[in-house]
Amino acid sequence: MTIEPLVGEARERLLVRAKREGLVTVGYDVMDSPLGPLWIAVGPRGVLAIHYGAKPDPRDLARISRTYGPGVLPDRRRCDRVLTELDQYFARRRRTFDLEVDLTPLTAFQRRVLTATALVPYGELTTYHEVAKRAGNEQASRAAGGAIGSNPIPIVVPCHRVVASDGSLGGYAGGLAAKRRLLALELGDAQVPRGGWPPARLER
Amino acid sequence: MSGPVTFGELLECFEREIFAYVLRLSGSRDDADDLYQETFLAAFRSWPPPRAGNERAWLYRIATNKAIDRVRQSRRVVPLRDLRLAAPERDGVTLADLRTAVRALPTGQRAAFVLRKVEGRSYAEVADVLGCSEDAARSRVAEAMKKMREAVR
Repeated sequence: MTIEPLVGEARERLLVRAKREGLVTVGYDVMDSPLGPLWIAVGPRGVLAIHYGAKPDPRDLARISRTYGPGVLPDRRRCDRVLTELDQYFARRRRTFDLEVDLTPLTAFQRRVLTATALVPYGELTTYHEVAKRAGNEQASRAAGGAIGSNPIPIVVPCHRVVASDGSLGGYAGGLAAKRRLLALELGDAQVPRGGWPPARLER
Repeated sequence: MSGPVTFGELLECFEREIFAYVLRLSGSRDDADDLYQETFLAAFRSWPPPRAGNERAWLYRIATNKAIDRVRQSRRVVPLRDLRLAAPERDGVTLADLRTAVRALPTGQRAAFVLRKVEGRSYAEVADVLGCSEDAARSRVAEAMKKMREAVR
């Protein structure tokens, strides 16, 4: 017999007590998604992070703890709704997310860029240039690309729908294979070309 | 070395070994469960850890003090089923023998014994956890060993 189940039970009780004492500000959980494990954090104002991996990104933790303190603990129940909606999305049963996202720990420019990104509809594509324009600074494509590249809440804030002006896929935190799979999921069974699309594909 | 910035990091890094430690110290699942919770709640309440990179010794110190407090408050009977988890295996000595011997040790010696002989910590670490000198840690372990040998002879 291992102590693992005993530790799990003790942890549940610890979480209840820590919550009762007001020691917990942010809850997190790890989702087993079709794209691999996703580390998900939910704070008092909504989703704070979705990270490709079973372990959190240290930059996410630093950002979250600067805003909400060290009370970041595993909490499945708190993440339930995010997990459910992501499951539905991956099963093609959901096209928009009914979730609050919390971008407060970011700069004003990052927030504007990600808000513009969040408005790109399911199954459609846009460019870094277009997002920069909608965020109020047409000249700032590169900076917009940086803000999109460090999007802490991918999938829900659909940065995978943003590609380069020449039709190539650009970058993606979860890797280009993940970006291709998300786009293929949304665009039906249409194959997403390995390198992206010719520029003509982006003209709407 | 940078330390954890969140409770979750500290918990995930150390919860298994702290649970195993308090289980060995107390010999009871229920007590271990309580001690685990009290240890981490105390750590969260007194956040941040006193020195980055030294979180392990900090947690062991809190756990040891909580175990000592608990023993002072009440002496409890250890269920035999729990000792199978708590006691280290030794040839020729039954679990029941060890159970009796470990239980008979004063808490300070028991902590020193578990840290050094079961967990394999250095004397410097034992001293750090117990808040005593290395010499005192050595003598506590030696005294515990002497009593254990006598008890299981």
